[in-house]
Amino acid sequence: MKASDLIGRPVLDSAGRRVGIVTDLRCIQDGPLRGAMAAPRVHEVILSSRRVGSMLGYQRQEQRGPWLVRLIVRWLHRDLMVLPWESVQLSDDGEIRTLTVTGDRHRPR
Amino acid sequence: MSDGRELDLQLHLLDRQVQDPDRRMICKVDDLELELDASGRPYVTAILAGPRALGPRLGGRLGRWMAAIAGRLATPEESEIPRIDFAQVTEIGSAITIARTSDELNVAPLEGWLDRHVIARIPGSLHESE
Repeated sequence: MKASDLIGRPVLDSAGRRVGIVTDLRCIQDGPLRGAMAAPRVHEVILSSRRVGSMLGYQRQEQRGPWLVRLIVRWLHRDLMVLPWESVQLSDDGEIRTLTVTGDRHRPR
Repeated sequence: MSDGRELDLQLHLLDRQVQDPDRRMICKVDDLELELDASGRPYVTAILAGPRALGPRLGGRLGRWMAAIAGRLATPEESEIPRIDFAQVTEIGSAITIARTSDELNVAPLEGWLDRHVIARIPGSLHESE
Protein backbone atom coordinates (compact mmCIF):
# COMPACT_ATOMS: atom_id res chain seq x y z
CA MET A 1 0.00 0.00 0.00
CA LYS A 2 1.14 3.54 -0.71
CA ALA A 3 0.40 6.85 1.02
CA SER A 4 -1.32 7.99 -2.18
CA ASP A 5 -3.75 5.07 -1.85
CA LEU A 6 -5.14 6.83 1.23
CA ILE A 7 -4.43 10.56 0.81
CA GLY A 8 -7.06 12.04 -1.49
CA ARG A 9 -9.47 9.16 -0.92
CA PRO A 10 -13.03 9.90 0.18
CA VAL A 11 -14.13 8.79 3.64
CA LEU A 12 -17.68 7.50 4.04
CA ASP A 13 -19.92 7.16 7.04
CA SER A 14 -21.69 3.93 7.89
CA ALA A 15 -24.61 4.93 5.64
CA GLY A 16 -22.30 5.40 2.67
CA ARG A 17 -22.46 9.21 2.71
CA ARG A 18 -19.24 11.09 2.08
CA VAL A 19 -17.78 12.61 5.24
CA GLY A 20 -14.74 14.19 3.60
CA ILE A 21 -11.48 13.56 1.80
CA VAL A 22 -8.24 12.45 3.42
CA THR A 23 -5.88 15.43 3.22
CA ASP A 24 -3.14 14.06 5.45
CA LEU A 25 -2.13 11.19 7.70
CA ARG A 26 -0.80 12.22 11.11
CA CYS A 27 1.93 9.90 12.33
CA ILE A 28 4.02 9.43 15.42
CA GLN A 29 7.47 7.90 15.13
CA ASP A 30 6.59 4.95 17.32
CA GLY A 31 6.48 2.23 14.65
CA PRO A 32 8.91 -0.65 14.22
CA LEU A 33 12.55 0.37 14.51
CA ARG A 34 14.06 0.72 11.03
CA GLY A 35 17.70 1.68 11.00
CA ALA A 36 18.43 4.68 13.20
CA MET A 37 14.86 5.63 14.00
CA ALA A 38 11.36 4.32 14.52
CA ALA A 39 9.10 4.28 11.48
CA PRO A 40 6.32 6.90 11.39
CA ARG A 41 3.04 5.13 12.21
CA VAL A 42 -0.39 6.53 11.37
CA HIS A 43 -2.39 7.64 14.40
CA GLU A 44 -4.89 10.09 12.94
CA VAL A 45 -6.57 10.79 9.62
CA ILE A 46 -7.10 14.45 8.71
CA LEU A 47 -10.22 15.09 6.64
CA SER A 48 -11.54 18.06 4.76
CA SER A 49 -14.39 18.57 2.31
CA ARG A 50 -11.93 20.13 -0.10
CA ARG A 51 -9.78 18.02 -2.38
CA VAL A 52 -7.82 20.96 -3.74
CA GLY A 53 -5.65 23.10 -1.56
CA SER A 54 -3.16 22.20 1.09
CA MET A 55 -3.54 23.33 4.66
CA LEU A 56 0.10 24.52 4.45
CA GLY A 57 0.55 23.35 8.03
CA TYR A 58 -2.12 25.70 9.33
CA GLN A 59 -4.09 22.80 10.77
CA ARG A 60 -1.54 22.95 13.58
CA GLN A 61 -2.04 25.54 16.29
CA GLU A 62 1.70 26.14 16.59
CA GLN A 63 1.86 27.20 12.94
CA ARG A 64 1.54 30.97 13.23
CA GLY A 65 2.78 32.45 9.93
CA PRO A 66 1.20 35.49 8.30
CA TRP A 67 -2.12 35.98 10.07
CA LEU A 68 -4.02 36.78 6.88
CA VAL A 69 -2.88 33.57 5.19
CA ARG A 70 -3.68 31.65 8.35
CA LEU A 71 -7.19 33.10 8.46
CA ILE A 72 -7.88 32.37 4.78
CA VAL A 73 -6.54 28.82 4.86
CA ARG A 74 -8.38 27.99 8.08
CA TRP A 75 -11.61 29.46 6.70
CA LEU A 76 -11.29 27.43 3.49
CA HIS A 77 -10.77 24.30 5.55
CA ARG A 78 -13.14 25.27 8.39
CA ASP A 79 -14.73 21.83 8.29
CA LEU A 80 -11.41 20.06 8.93
CA MET A 81 -11.77 16.96 11.07
CA VAL A 82 -9.34 14.59 12.67
CA LEU A 83 -10.25 10.95 13.06
CA PRO A 84 -8.33 8.53 15.25
CA TRP A 85 -7.13 5.67 13.04
CA GLU A 86 -9.06 3.23 15.27
CA SER A 87 -12.31 4.88 14.20
CA VAL A 88 -11.62 4.28 10.51
CA GLN A 89 -12.18 0.99 8.79
CA LEU A 90 -10.03 0.29 5.76
CA SER A 91 -11.50 -2.02 3.16
CA ASP A 92 -9.33 -3.16 0.33
CA ASP A 93 -11.31 -3.92 -2.80
CA GLY A 94 -8.57 -4.62 -5.29
CA GLU A 95 -7.07 -1.30 -6.34
CA ILE A 96 -9.73 0.82 -4.61
CA ARG A 97 -9.36 1.33 -0.89
CA THR A 98 -12.31 2.74 1.01
CA LEU A 99 -12.25 4.36 4.41
CA THR A 100 -15.38 4.23 6.55
CA VAL A 101 -15.89 6.10 9.80
CA THR A 102 -16.98 3.81 12.58
CA GLY A 103 -16.11 5.86 15.65
CA ASP A 104 -15.42 9.32 17.02
CA ARG A 105 -14.35 12.33 15.07
CA HIS A 106 -13.12 15.63 16.39
CA ARG A 107 -11.83 19.01 15.29
CA PRO A 108 -8.06 19.49 15.09
CA ARG A 109 -6.10 20.82 17.99
CA MET B 1 16.43 12.92 16.07
CA SER B 2 14.32 11.45 18.83
CA ASP B 3 11.58 8.89 18.33
CA GLY B 4 8.03 9.80 19.27
CA ARG B 5 8.01 12.87 17.02
CA GLU B 6 4.75 13.81 15.33
CA LEU B 7 4.86 13.94 11.52
CA ASP B 8 2.16 14.54 8.94
CA LEU B 9 2.96 12.51 5.83
CA GLN B 10 1.76 15.09 3.31
CA LEU B 11 3.17 18.07 5.18
CA HIS B 12 6.50 16.73 6.42
CA LEU B 13 7.53 13.95 4.01
CA LEU B 14 5.85 13.94 0.60
CA ASP B 15 7.57 16.05 -2.08
CA ARG B 16 10.55 16.76 0.17
CA GLN B 17 14.08 16.64 -1.24
CA VAL B 18 16.09 13.51 -0.46
CA GLN B 19 19.80 14.16 0.02
CA ASP B 20 22.88 12.10 0.77
CA PRO B 21 25.12 12.68 3.83
CA ASP B 22 27.08 15.31 1.84
CA ARG B 23 23.80 17.15 1.06
CA ARG B 24 23.90 16.16 -2.62
CA MET B 25 20.39 15.92 -4.04
CA ILE B 26 19.23 12.39 -4.87
CA CYS B 27 15.50 12.53 -5.60
CA LYS B 28 12.19 13.72 -4.21
CA VAL B 29 9.80 11.82 -1.97
CA ASP B 30 7.24 11.05 -4.69
CA ASP B 31 5.25 8.58 -2.60
CA LEU B 32 5.63 6.48 0.53
CA GLU B 33 5.32 2.73 0.90
CA LEU B 34 3.17 1.68 3.85
CA GLU B 35 2.68 -1.63 5.61
CA LEU B 36 0.13 -2.58 8.24
CA ASP B 37 1.36 -3.59 11.68
CA ALA B 38 -0.22 -6.37 13.74
CA SER B 39 -2.99 -4.03 14.90
CA GLY B 40 -3.79 -2.93 11.33
CA ARG B 41 -2.17 0.49 11.68
CA PRO B 42 -0.08 1.63 8.66
CA TYR B 43 3.54 2.63 9.10
CA VAL B 44 6.12 3.94 6.62
CA THR B 45 8.53 1.34 5.25
CA ALA B 46 10.11 3.12 2.28
CA ILE B 47 10.38 6.24 0.15
CA LEU B 48 9.25 5.75 -3.46
CA ALA B 49 10.82 7.94 -6.11
CA GLY B 50 10.58 8.68 -9.80
CA PRO B 51 7.86 9.20 -12.40
CA ARG B 52 6.31 5.79 -11.79
CA ALA B 53 5.68 6.80 -8.16
CA LEU B 54 4.65 10.38 -8.90
CA GLY B 55 2.43 9.62 -11.92
CA PRO B 56 -0.31 7.72 -10.09
CA ARG B 57 -0.27 10.39 -7.38
CA LEU B 58 -0.86 13.14 -9.94
CA GLY B 59 -3.64 11.13 -11.55
CA GLY B 60 -5.40 11.97 -14.79
CA ARG B 61 -3.97 11.69 -18.27
CA LEU B 62 -0.70 13.42 -17.36
CA GLY B 63 -0.08 11.06 -14.46
CA ARG B 64 -0.83 7.95 -16.54
CA TRP B 65 1.35 9.23 -19.36
CA MET B 66 4.23 9.99 -17.01
CA ALA B 67 4.12 6.54 -15.38
CA ALA B 68 3.70 4.71 -18.71
CA ILE B 69 6.64 6.44 -20.41
CA ALA B 70 8.91 5.84 -17.43
CA GLY B 71 7.83 2.20 -17.34
CA ARG B 72 8.63 1.75 -21.04
CA LEU B 73 12.09 3.28 -20.62
CA ALA B 74 13.04 1.19 -17.60
CA THR B 75 15.36 -1.75 -18.21
CA PRO B 76 14.31 -5.24 -16.96
CA GLU B 77 16.48 -4.83 -13.87
CA GLU B 78 14.72 -1.52 -13.20
CA SER B 79 11.24 -3.05 -13.36
CA GLU B 80 10.44 -2.14 -9.73
CA ILE B 81 9.63 1.44 -8.71
CA PRO B 82 12.82 2.89 -7.18
CA ARG B 83 12.55 2.70 -3.40
CA ILE B 84 14.69 3.75 -0.48
CA ASP B 85 14.08 1.70 2.65
CA PHE B 86 13.17 3.88 5.63
CA ALA B 87 16.07 2.21 7.48
CA GLN B 88 18.38 4.41 5.35
CA VAL B 89 16.82 7.64 6.65
CA THR B 90 19.03 9.43 9.16
CA GLU B 91 17.32 12.81 9.48
CA ILE B 92 13.93 14.33 8.69
CA GLY B 93 14.03 18.08 8.38
CA SER B 94 13.35 20.50 5.56
CA ALA B 95 15.05 17.75 3.50
CA ILE B 96 15.24 14.01 4.13
CA THR B 97 18.83 12.87 4.68
CA ILE B 98 19.74 9.26 3.99
CA ALA B 99 22.87 7.23 4.65
CA ARG B 100 23.48 6.26 1.01
CA THR B 101 24.58 8.05 -2.17
CA SER B 102 22.75 8.30 -5.47
CA ASP B 103 25.17 5.90 -7.20
CA GLU B 104 24.55 3.22 -4.57
CA LEU B 105 20.77 3.50 -4.88
CA ASN B 106 20.03 3.88 -8.61
CA VAL B 107 16.79 5.74 -7.87
CA ALA B 108 16.77 7.75 -11.11
CA PRO B 109 16.52 5.18 -13.94
CA LEU B 110 15.01 7.74 -16.31
CA GLU B 111 18.06 9.94 -15.89
CA GLY B 112 20.22 6.85 -16.42
CA TRP B 113 18.37 6.03 -19.65
CA LEU B 114 18.80 9.62 -20.90
CA ASP B 115 22.47 9.47 -19.95
CA ARG B 116 23.04 6.20 -21.88
CA HIS B 117 20.86 6.86 -24.94
CA VAL B 118 20.89 10.64 -25.44
CA ILE B 119 23.66 12.39 -23.55
CA ALA B 120 26.28 9.73 -24.41
CA ARG B 121 25.62 10.29 -28.16
CA ILE B 122 26.36 14.00 -28.02
CA PRO B 123 29.89 14.60 -29.35
CA GLY B 124 32.16 15.54 -26.49
CA SER B 125 29.90 14.13 -23.80
CA LEU B 126 32.38 11.36 -23.02
CA HIS B 127 35.19 13.86 -22.39
CA GLU B 128 37.09 12.78 -25.54
CA SER B 129 38.97 16.07 -25.58
CA GLU B 130 40.55 15.46 -22.19
